[in-house]
Amino acid sequence: MTSTPETGAKSRLTSGHETVILFFVARQMFAIAADSVQEIRSTDSLAGSANEMEQSEVPKVRHTIERNRRTYFVVNAGVHFSLPVTRPALVLILRELRVALLVDRIERMAEISAVYALPQAFSGAERRWYRGLAYVDDVVIPVVQPAGFLTLEEFQQLDQIEIAAGHQVKEAAPV
Amino acid sequence: MSEPRQAVSGAFVLLQVGDGRVALPAEIVSELAPPVRLHSFPHSSRFITGVIVRRGRIVPVYDANSVLTRKNSSPQRFYLIAQRRVGKVAEMGAIPVNGECELVSAEMRPPGGERPAYVAGTIAVGEQLLEVLDLEAFIASNSTRDDDSHATQVQS
Repeated sequence: MTSTPETGAKSRLTSGHETVILFFVARQMFAIAADSVQEIRSTDSLAGSANEMEQSEVPKVRHTIERNRRTYFVVNAGVHFSLPVTRPALVLILRELRVALLVDRIERMAEISAVYALPQAFSGAERRWYRGLAYVDDVVIPVVQPAGFLTLEEFQQLDQIEIAAGHQVKEAAPV
Repeated sequence: MSEPRQAVSGAFVLLQVGDGRVALPAEIVSELAPPVRLHSFPHSSRFITGVIVRRGRIVPVYDANSVLTRKNSSPQRFYLIAQRRVGKVAEMGAIPVNGECELVSAEMRPPGGERPAYVAGTIAVGEQLLEVLDLEAFIASNSTRDDDSHATQVQS
Protein backbone atom coordinates (compact mmCIF):
# COMPACT_ATOMS: atom_id res chain seq x y z
CA MET A 1 0.00 0.00 0.00
CA THR A 2 1.12 3.53 -0.60
CA SER A 3 0.09 6.54 1.35
CA THR A 4 -2.10 9.26 -0.12
CA PRO A 5 0.02 12.24 -1.11
CA GLU A 6 -0.53 15.13 1.26
CA THR A 7 0.24 17.67 -1.39
CA GLY A 8 -0.75 18.15 -4.99
CA ALA A 9 -3.79 19.37 -6.79
CA LYS A 10 -6.92 19.09 -4.74
CA SER A 11 -9.30 19.87 -7.57
CA ARG A 12 -10.08 23.40 -6.52
CA LEU A 13 -12.08 25.09 -9.22
CA THR A 14 -11.92 28.48 -7.61
CA SER A 15 -10.11 29.82 -4.62
CA GLY A 16 -10.56 33.11 -2.85
CA HIS A 17 -13.49 33.96 -0.68
CA GLU A 18 -16.95 33.93 -2.13
CA THR A 19 -20.23 34.77 -0.47
CA VAL A 20 -22.94 32.18 -0.89
CA ILE A 21 -26.51 31.81 0.23
CA LEU A 22 -27.19 28.49 1.93
CA PHE A 23 -30.70 27.27 1.32
CA PHE A 24 -32.72 24.15 1.98
CA VAL A 25 -34.93 22.06 -0.25
CA ALA A 26 -36.45 18.95 1.33
CA ARG A 27 -33.86 18.86 4.16
CA GLN A 28 -30.99 19.05 1.68
CA MET A 29 -28.73 22.08 1.91
CA PHE A 30 -27.40 23.79 -1.20
CA ALA A 31 -25.29 26.87 -1.81
CA ILE A 32 -25.72 29.49 -4.50
CA ALA A 33 -23.42 32.43 -5.20
CA ALA A 34 -24.95 35.45 -3.54
CA ASP A 35 -24.18 37.66 -6.51
CA SER A 36 -26.26 35.45 -8.80
CA VAL A 37 -29.41 36.17 -6.76
CA GLN A 38 -31.20 39.43 -7.41
CA GLU A 39 -34.05 39.19 -4.96
CA ILE A 40 -35.53 36.86 -2.36
CA ARG A 41 -39.28 36.98 -1.84
CA SER A 42 -41.81 34.89 0.00
CA THR A 43 -44.14 32.84 -2.17
CA ASP A 44 -47.08 34.57 -0.49
CA SER A 45 -45.87 37.99 -1.55
CA LEU A 46 -45.66 36.89 -5.19
CA ALA A 47 -48.92 34.98 -5.30
CA GLY A 48 -50.73 37.88 -6.91
CA SER A 49 -48.20 38.39 -9.68
CA ALA A 50 -47.68 34.74 -10.61
CA ASN A 51 -49.22 33.30 -13.75
CA GLU A 52 -49.95 29.60 -13.95
CA MET A 53 -48.54 27.70 -16.93
CA GLU A 54 -50.53 24.77 -18.18
CA GLN A 55 -47.90 22.54 -19.72
CA SER A 56 -46.27 19.20 -19.09
CA GLU A 57 -43.13 19.52 -21.22
CA VAL A 58 -41.10 21.00 -18.37
CA PRO A 59 -42.78 19.69 -15.20
CA LYS A 60 -40.55 21.64 -12.82
CA VAL A 61 -42.00 24.91 -14.13
CA ARG A 62 -45.62 25.64 -13.24
CA HIS A 63 -45.64 29.44 -13.03
CA THR A 64 -44.14 32.60 -14.40
CA ILE A 65 -43.72 35.84 -12.54
CA GLU A 66 -43.19 39.36 -13.81
CA ARG A 67 -40.44 41.39 -12.18
CA ASN A 68 -38.94 44.59 -13.49
CA ARG A 69 -40.57 44.12 -16.89
CA ARG A 70 -39.11 40.62 -17.27
CA THR A 71 -40.84 37.27 -17.36
CA TYR A 72 -39.23 34.72 -15.05
CA PHE A 73 -39.89 31.00 -15.20
CA VAL A 74 -40.42 29.66 -11.69
CA VAL A 75 -38.48 26.42 -11.22
CA ASN A 76 -39.42 24.13 -8.35
CA ALA A 77 -36.01 23.15 -6.98
CA GLY A 78 -37.41 20.00 -5.39
CA VAL A 79 -38.64 18.70 -8.73
CA HIS A 80 -35.42 19.80 -10.43
CA PHE A 81 -33.29 17.78 -7.99
CA SER A 82 -35.81 14.89 -7.75
CA LEU A 83 -36.28 15.50 -4.03
CA PRO A 84 -39.41 14.69 -2.03
CA VAL A 85 -42.29 17.09 -2.47
CA THR A 86 -42.30 20.01 -0.04
CA ARG A 87 -44.13 23.30 0.30
CA PRO A 88 -41.66 25.98 -0.79
CA ALA A 89 -41.90 29.24 1.12
CA LEU A 90 -39.35 31.38 -0.72
CA VAL A 91 -38.50 32.39 -4.25
CA LEU A 92 -34.94 33.24 -5.27
CA ILE A 93 -35.09 35.49 -8.30
CA LEU A 94 -31.86 35.03 -10.20
CA ARG A 95 -29.89 37.93 -11.57
CA GLU A 96 -28.88 37.27 -15.15
CA LEU A 97 -31.27 34.48 -16.04
CA ARG A 98 -35.02 34.46 -16.44
CA VAL A 99 -35.27 31.91 -13.64
CA ALA A 100 -36.86 32.15 -10.22
CA LEU A 101 -36.24 29.27 -7.86
CA LEU A 102 -38.72 27.86 -5.36
CA VAL A 103 -36.95 26.75 -2.17
CA ASP A 104 -38.05 25.80 1.32
CA ARG A 105 -35.99 28.20 3.40
CA ILE A 106 -32.79 30.18 3.60
CA GLU A 107 -30.34 28.97 6.22
CA ARG A 108 -27.90 31.90 6.16
CA MET A 109 -25.17 33.50 4.12
CA ALA A 110 -21.66 32.13 4.37
CA GLU A 111 -18.17 32.77 3.10
CA ILE A 112 -16.56 29.86 1.31
CA SER A 113 -12.88 29.74 0.52
CA ALA A 114 -13.02 27.37 -2.45
CA VAL A 115 -15.29 25.48 -4.78
CA TYR A 116 -14.01 21.97 -5.39
CA ALA A 117 -14.60 20.21 -8.69
CA LEU A 118 -17.25 17.55 -8.68
CA PRO A 119 -15.38 14.23 -8.84
CA GLN A 120 -15.39 12.74 -12.33
CA ALA A 121 -17.14 9.68 -10.90
CA PHE A 122 -20.30 11.78 -10.97
CA SER A 123 -21.37 11.53 -14.58
CA GLY A 124 -25.07 12.33 -14.64
CA ALA A 125 -27.23 15.43 -14.63
CA GLU A 126 -25.42 16.68 -11.53
CA ARG A 127 -22.57 17.82 -13.76
CA ARG A 128 -25.03 20.35 -15.18
CA TRP A 129 -26.66 21.12 -11.83
CA TYR A 130 -23.56 21.99 -9.82
CA ARG A 131 -20.58 24.31 -10.20
CA GLY A 132 -18.82 22.11 -7.69
CA LEU A 133 -18.76 21.32 -4.00
CA ALA A 134 -18.01 23.49 -1.01
CA TYR A 135 -17.01 22.57 2.50
CA VAL A 136 -18.98 24.58 5.04
CA ASP A 137 -18.84 23.81 8.76
CA ASP A 138 -17.60 20.26 8.12
CA VAL A 139 -20.37 19.55 5.64
CA VAL A 140 -19.93 19.07 1.89
CA ILE A 141 -22.55 21.14 0.09
CA PRO A 142 -23.25 21.28 -3.62
CA VAL A 143 -22.85 24.75 -5.11
CA VAL A 144 -25.59 25.08 -7.69
CA GLN A 145 -24.99 26.27 -11.21
CA PRO A 146 -27.60 28.98 -11.90
CA ALA A 147 -27.52 28.23 -15.62
CA GLY A 148 -28.23 24.58 -14.88
CA PHE A 149 -31.84 25.01 -13.83
CA LEU A 150 -33.18 25.32 -17.35
CA THR A 151 -31.49 24.28 -20.56
CA LEU A 152 -31.63 26.43 -23.66
CA GLU A 153 -34.10 23.95 -25.14
CA GLU A 154 -36.31 24.23 -22.05
CA PHE A 155 -36.23 28.03 -22.30
CA GLN A 156 -37.28 27.80 -25.93
CA GLN A 157 -40.06 25.35 -25.12
CA LEU A 158 -41.36 27.53 -22.31
CA ASP A 159 -41.17 30.68 -24.44
CA GLN A 160 -43.19 28.98 -27.17
CA ILE A 161 -45.79 27.82 -24.64
CA GLU A 162 -46.09 31.35 -23.29
CA ILE A 163 -46.47 32.81 -26.77
CA ALA A 164 -49.01 30.14 -27.72
CA ALA A 165 -50.99 31.02 -24.59
CA GLY A 166 -51.12 34.61 -25.74
CA HIS A 167 -48.69 35.91 -23.14
CA GLN A 168 -45.96 38.31 -24.07
CA VAL A 169 -42.55 36.97 -23.07
CA LYS A 170 -40.74 40.01 -21.80
CA GLU A 171 -37.03 40.42 -22.41
CA ALA A 172 -36.63 37.10 -24.16
CA ALA A 173 -32.88 37.57 -24.49
CA PRO A 174 -30.65 36.92 -22.68
CA VAL A 175 -32.07 33.71 -21.31
CA MET B 1 -5.97 -4.16 -15.58
CA SER B 2 -6.08 -6.92 -18.18
CA GLU B 3 -7.05 -10.47 -17.55
CA PRO B 4 -4.00 -12.69 -17.02
CA ARG B 5 -3.53 -15.62 -19.38
CA GLN B 6 -1.21 -17.26 -16.92
CA ALA B 7 -0.40 -16.94 -13.25
CA VAL B 8 0.92 -13.52 -12.21
CA SER B 9 2.62 -12.94 -8.88
CA GLY B 10 1.85 -9.79 -6.97
CA ALA B 11 0.68 -8.14 -3.80
CA PHE B 12 -3.01 -7.97 -3.06
CA VAL B 13 -5.14 -6.32 -0.44
CA LEU B 14 -7.87 -8.59 0.88
CA LEU B 15 -10.96 -6.82 2.04
CA GLN B 16 -14.23 -7.78 3.58
CA VAL B 17 -17.11 -6.16 1.73
CA GLY B 18 -20.41 -6.99 3.38
CA ASP B 19 -20.40 -10.73 3.80
CA GLY B 20 -17.92 -11.39 1.02
CA ARG B 21 -14.15 -11.29 0.74
CA VAL B 22 -12.42 -10.00 -2.37
CA ALA B 23 -8.96 -8.83 -3.37
CA LEU B 24 -7.61 -5.71 -5.02
CA PRO B 25 -4.14 -5.28 -6.51
CA ALA B 26 -2.10 -3.51 -3.83
CA GLU B 27 -0.62 -1.01 -6.27
CA ILE B 28 -3.94 0.82 -6.68
CA VAL B 29 -4.76 0.94 -2.96
CA SER B 30 -3.88 4.19 -1.22
CA GLU B 31 -5.06 3.67 2.33
CA LEU B 32 -7.64 2.29 4.68
CA ALA B 33 -9.47 5.33 6.03
CA PRO B 34 -11.27 5.33 9.38
CA PRO B 35 -15.03 5.80 9.62
CA VAL B 36 -15.75 9.34 8.54
CA ARG B 37 -18.91 11.16 7.68
CA LEU B 38 -20.56 10.23 4.40
CA HIS B 39 -21.85 13.37 2.74
CA SER B 40 -24.73 12.94 0.33
CA PHE B 41 -26.51 15.24 -2.07
CA PRO B 42 -28.84 14.76 -5.02
CA HIS B 43 -27.26 13.21 -8.08
CA SER B 44 -28.17 10.79 -10.82
CA SER B 45 -25.03 8.67 -11.01
CA ARG B 46 -25.69 5.07 -10.20
CA PHE B 47 -23.44 3.16 -7.85
CA ILE B 48 -22.32 6.24 -5.90
CA THR B 49 -23.59 6.77 -2.37
CA GLY B 50 -21.95 10.12 -1.67
CA VAL B 51 -18.54 11.53 -0.87
CA ILE B 52 -16.12 11.55 2.03
CA VAL B 53 -13.45 14.10 2.80
CA ARG B 54 -10.01 12.61 3.25
CA ARG B 55 -6.77 14.58 3.55
CA GLY B 56 -8.40 17.63 2.04
CA ARG B 57 -9.77 15.72 -0.93
CA ILE B 58 -13.37 15.00 -1.80
CA VAL B 59 -13.54 11.30 -2.56
CA PRO B 60 -16.58 9.61 -4.16
CA VAL B 61 -17.85 6.50 -2.40
CA TYR B 62 -18.89 3.50 -4.49
CA ASP B 63 -21.65 1.25 -3.25
CA ALA B 64 -19.75 -1.99 -3.75
CA ASN B 65 -21.82 -3.76 -1.11
CA SER B 66 -24.98 -3.61 -3.18
CA VAL B 67 -23.27 -5.52 -5.97
CA LEU B 68 -21.11 -7.92 -4.03
CA THR B 69 -23.47 -8.84 -1.23
CA ARG B 70 -26.90 -7.47 -2.17
CA LYS B 71 -26.94 -5.61 1.13
CA ASN B 72 -27.08 -1.87 1.66
CA SER B 73 -23.93 -0.36 3.04
CA SER B 74 -23.99 0.94 6.57
CA PRO B 75 -22.95 4.57 7.05
CA GLN B 76 -20.51 3.67 9.82
CA ARG B 77 -17.76 1.94 7.92
CA PHE B 78 -14.11 2.15 7.13
CA TYR B 79 -13.23 3.12 3.60
CA LEU B 80 -10.67 1.53 1.36
CA ILE B 81 -9.36 4.30 -0.85
CA ALA B 82 -8.01 3.32 -4.23
CA GLN B 83 -6.85 5.15 -7.28
CA ARG B 84 -8.71 4.82 -10.54
CA ARG B 85 -8.74 6.51 -13.90
CA VAL B 86 -11.80 8.34 -15.18
CA GLY B 87 -10.96 9.08 -18.78
CA LYS B 88 -7.58 10.77 -18.65
CA VAL B 89 -7.98 11.84 -15.04
CA ALA B 90 -6.67 9.88 -12.07
CA GLU B 91 -9.09 10.05 -9.18
CA MET B 92 -9.45 8.52 -5.77
CA GLY B 93 -12.48 6.40 -5.04
CA ALA B 94 -13.63 4.82 -1.79
CA ILE B 95 -15.26 1.47 -1.10
CA PRO B 96 -16.94 0.90 2.28
CA VAL B 97 -15.31 -2.00 4.09
CA ASN B 98 -15.55 -3.35 7.60
CA GLY B 99 -11.96 -2.52 8.48
CA GLU B 100 -10.50 -6.00 8.17
CA CYS B 101 -7.88 -5.75 5.47
CA GLU B 102 -4.88 -7.91 4.88
CA LEU B 103 -1.91 -7.56 2.55
CA VAL B 104 -0.83 -10.83 0.93
CA SER B 105 1.52 -11.96 -1.80
CA ALA B 106 -0.08 -14.44 -4.13
CA GLU B 107 -0.26 -15.73 -7.65
CA MET B 108 -3.25 -14.52 -9.60
CA ARG B 109 -4.64 -17.07 -11.98
CA PRO B 110 -7.06 -16.48 -14.87
CA PRO B 111 -10.65 -16.31 -13.59
CA GLY B 112 -11.99 -19.24 -15.56
CA GLY B 113 -15.60 -20.34 -15.54
CA GLU B 114 -18.41 -17.86 -15.97
CA ARG B 115 -17.36 -15.09 -13.67
CA PRO B 116 -18.39 -11.45 -14.07
CA ALA B 117 -16.25 -9.34 -16.39
CA TYR B 118 -14.94 -7.33 -13.44
CA VAL B 119 -13.15 -10.38 -12.03
CA ALA B 120 -9.55 -10.05 -13.21
CA GLY B 121 -8.47 -13.38 -11.77
CA THR B 122 -8.41 -15.45 -8.65
CA ILE B 123 -5.89 -15.95 -5.87
CA ALA B 124 -5.65 -18.77 -3.37
CA VAL B 125 -5.48 -17.65 0.24
CA GLY B 126 -5.37 -20.59 2.58
CA GLU B 127 -8.14 -22.84 1.44
CA GLN B 128 -10.14 -19.99 -0.05
CA LEU B 129 -10.18 -18.96 -3.68
CA LEU B 130 -10.76 -15.20 -3.78
CA GLU B 131 -11.73 -13.07 -6.73
CA VAL B 132 -9.44 -10.19 -7.67
CA LEU B 133 -11.49 -7.15 -8.69
CA ASP B 134 -10.64 -5.14 -11.76
CA LEU B 135 -11.78 -1.88 -10.18
CA GLU B 136 -12.25 -0.05 -13.47
CA ALA B 137 -14.39 -2.81 -14.93
CA PHE B 138 -16.26 -3.19 -11.65
CA ILE B 139 -17.22 0.49 -11.55
CA ALA B 140 -17.92 0.65 -15.27
CA SER B 141 -20.21 -2.36 -15.15
CA ASN B 142 -22.28 -0.79 -12.39
CA SER B 143 -22.40 2.80 -13.58
CA THR B 144 -24.55 4.31 -16.26
CA ARG B 145 -23.31 7.48 -17.82
CA ASP B 146 -25.71 10.39 -18.34
CA ASP B 147 -28.65 8.53 -16.91
CA ASP B 148 -30.83 11.43 -15.81
CA SER B 149 -33.79 9.26 -14.88
CA HIS B 150 -32.32 7.83 -11.71
CA ALA B 151 -31.83 10.74 -9.37
CA THR B 152 -30.49 9.46 -6.09
CA GLN B 153 -30.72 10.92 -2.64
CA VAL B 154 -28.92 9.02 0.06
CA GLN B 155 -29.26 10.12 3.64
CA SER B 156 -26.03 10.60 5.52
